[in-house]
Amino acid sequence: MIVDWFYHEYLQHLIESLVDPKKRVSFGYLIFAAMIGLAWSAFMSRHSWRYGLSQGIRKLFGKRVLFSQSARADYKLLLLNHGFLLLVAPFFLSKVALTTSLFFLLHEVLPSGSAYFSSMPFWTVSVIYTLFLFVLDDFSRYVVHAALHRIPFLWAFHKIHHTAETLSPLTVYRTHPIEAVVFSFRSIIVQASCIALFVFIFGEKVDLVTIYGVNVLLFVFNLSGSNLRHSHIPISYGRILERIFISPAQHQIHHSIMRCHHGKNFGAALSVWDYLFGSLHLSEKNTHLTFGIKNRSKRGSHNLFTLYVQPFVEASREVKILFRKLEEIKKDIINVT
Amino acid sequence: MCLSKVSLVKLLSVGLIAIASLMLTISAQASEKVYGKFPVTLKGYSGSKTNSVSYTGQIARHVLHDSLKKLAAKGNGKPNPKLKSLMMSYYSSKDAGRAIIAPKTKGSFVVKQTLVDQISKKKNLSGKTYKGTISGMPNNMTGPELVTFWIDKASSANKGVDSRNGYNYPQLISKFIMGAVFYNQAVDNYLDEKLSATKKPNNKPYKKGAAYTGKEHSWDEAFGYYGVPAHGLSFSGKQLYLIAKQKPEGFSIADFNGDGKIDLYKEMMFAPAYYAASYDKSNKTTYGKNISNAFLDGRRLISSAQGEILSDAQRSQLRKYAAIIEKNWQKTLAESVFKYAGSVYKDLKKINASMADEKDKTKKAEKAYIKHWGELKGFSLSLQTGRAKLGGDTAVRLNRLIGFGPVMPNSSQVVDIDSNGNYVKDQSSGIEEYMLHMLKVQKLMIDKFNVKARKNDQLASLDQMIKKLGDSSSAEND
Repeated sequence: MIVDWFYHEYLQHLIESLVDPKKRVSFGYLIFAAMIGLAWSAFMSRHSWRYGLSQGIRKLFGKRVLFSQSARADYKLLLLNHGFLLLVAPFFLSKVALTTSLFFLLHEVLPSGSAYFSSMPFWTVSVIYTLFLFVLDDFSRYVVHAALHRIPFLWAFHKIHHTAETLSPLTVYRTHPIEAVVFSFRSIIVQASCIALFVFIFGEKVDLVTIYGVNVLLFVFNLSGSNLRHSHIPISYGRILERIFISPAQHQIHHSIMRCHHGKNFGAALSVWDYLFGSLHLSEKNTHLTFGIKNRSKRGSHNLFTLYVQPFVEASREVKILFRKLEEIKKDIINVT
Repeated sequence: MCLSKVSLVKLLSVGLIAIASLMLTISAQASEKVYGKFPVTLKGYSGSKTNSVSYTGQIARHVLHDSLKKLAAKGNGKPNPKLKSLMMSYYSSKDAGRAIIAPKTKGSFVVKQTLVDQISKKKNLSGKTYKGTISGMPNNMTGPELVTFWIDKASSANKGVDSRNGYNYPQLISKFIMGAVFYNQAVDNYLDEKLSATKKPNNKPYKKGAAYTGKEHSWDEAFGYYGVPAHGLSFSGKQLYLIAKQKPEGFSIADFNGDGKIDLYKEMMFAPAYYAASYDKSNKTTYGKNISNAFLDGRRLISSAQGEILSDAQRSQLRKYAAIIEKNWQKTLAESVFKYAGSVYKDLKKINASMADEKDKTKKAEKAYIKHWGELKGFSLSLQTGRAKLGGDTAVRLNRLIGFGPVMPNSSQVVDIDSNGNYVKDQSSGIEEYMLHMLKVQKLMIDKFNVKARKNDQLASLDQMIKKLGDSSSAEND
């Protein structure tokens, strides 16, 4: 039974996700990212383009990057988390149930608003829907990401991602399972709300503008080298564009151990959220970045047991602290009254 | 190369034998899917009959139903005792000489019988209508009381339609009878009580002098109520649909014996089987196929007992077939509720969108709305006439969502019937709210009956978009 599950569920799903254009780390995007990364290294090099190219190859495919202790931990987490999610996904909140409930709720709250704009042309509705979904999805990513950093209980789990000392596209999967569950819920809630709202307002005309079945905007984002955010190639977009879109260099700053870089650049595709909420940090030329977490014991930081268990220990500690603080507040209130 | 005469004869003989064998195989395969004839197995039968299959009474009731539906649309908007009496003769009397009003010859689709008696004599519908109270309508009427009430109303309505209160009586009467007579009699009588060990045993005739045993005839009667042509068990949904609609292309499929006429008893499609076929046409369901196969398998099992009393194992197997029939028949009714809830939603959307100056458009939409509501209501009541009560609060929810009458464009709705049989109306919360009810009815049919064909699915766009966005479970980080 386990062998059957491994071949027919796990392995098949894993291979599918590597070629699925809906996933950021699929082969097509990776190839494009590599080409962009190498071209950038070659043409932006202060030395000859050949030297730049060789540096690019080293930064993307070098042994120290792809086979470092940190990268090996990424791969193990990817493989284990993939199985974990396959097992727990059936117990997640049903996207269909949530969408339908929200759709009904809208009918109850705004009975006369149903299909209000149903006369609008099909292509207009589809463009608005595609754009809205992309922006809402990106904003929700910003909010969740910021919460993962700012709420100590959540940071205990998200920290795992920041223990990466070398970055490769697969670092995107360096996640604690609890965080993966949080991200899955975020996705379900955003998609369900968006679908329910649009079908309610625009009727049956709503459709997604896609390329190879993927939201066209997400496709462009992924094709334009989104995977390089987890790499050692610091592609920047310039001071104006970096206020709208997050560049790979900006995300690398997010992973930097420097104090002034902490709590910056939470955005996924758009940096407008960081700009609006004061967490934007533009990329810097000639700044050497070190990735990881400061003061963390080197020993065990890439050990699977530590990566999976330590967050629970830290999270429970945070909960205790929270309860202690609540007790103190209660006592203070009693003393005052 | 030169063949001798002997070789040529040998070759021809082999060829002829091969062709004959092939034809025999094809004919055997075709007859495999025909409901009958089944030999007489009754011990001690001394009559001349060689076929034990008989369900003429059920086909006569289908014809009475079809005819009653036609008559219900004959009113001129004024009280018409003559029409009412005529309708009652098709519903509750057993009069001789009643003409078949439907199905009749239609162009090249020639129907053999013209009188109900040519199929079976002294049959009515009222005696076989579900006797329980109908909680989806006011005043705790029983099934026959409700049909009689509607017949009275239909006789004085203009073409059977009360556009003030929103009732289309031909649709209400027809769709309700499909459950209260055909479905109920099949699943709650012949495939239930009469499958017990003590009732209608297989070693005795169904009635004195009959050529069939108790179990054989019980099973055949249930089959008759389903209303599929005896030779149509392996037909596709599309083929059966062509027969039911009396299309010229359907004639050659239906005319099994090739006599140039359609025998209503053996070669015609009737309402329950028609609806199952209409959903199967989508290739998303196999309701009709499942029901037909179960009927055939069950009949074979009974025949194989050779007139002996059925063993517990045989009866248990028979109950399994009965369960398949019941489940698929119930799903067909649930699909119909789903379909017409979607139609009503679409009609209301049109009514809502039509401008004040587009009177013709609005009138047309209202007409369609009333018709579809009648179909919805009739099927929703039919669904409640099965062997077992619908699970949980399904029936209560269904009746509350649909109401006693449709919400009219001025937001009025029938909420009761007074002691004189007059409708009592009140203001409802409006058609937008009622549209939401229709969506909830569709959702209820999905949740409780797992309907698959889902015609007129108003939630389909939600479903498609969810599928398009794909899987949400991912460990991708930022």
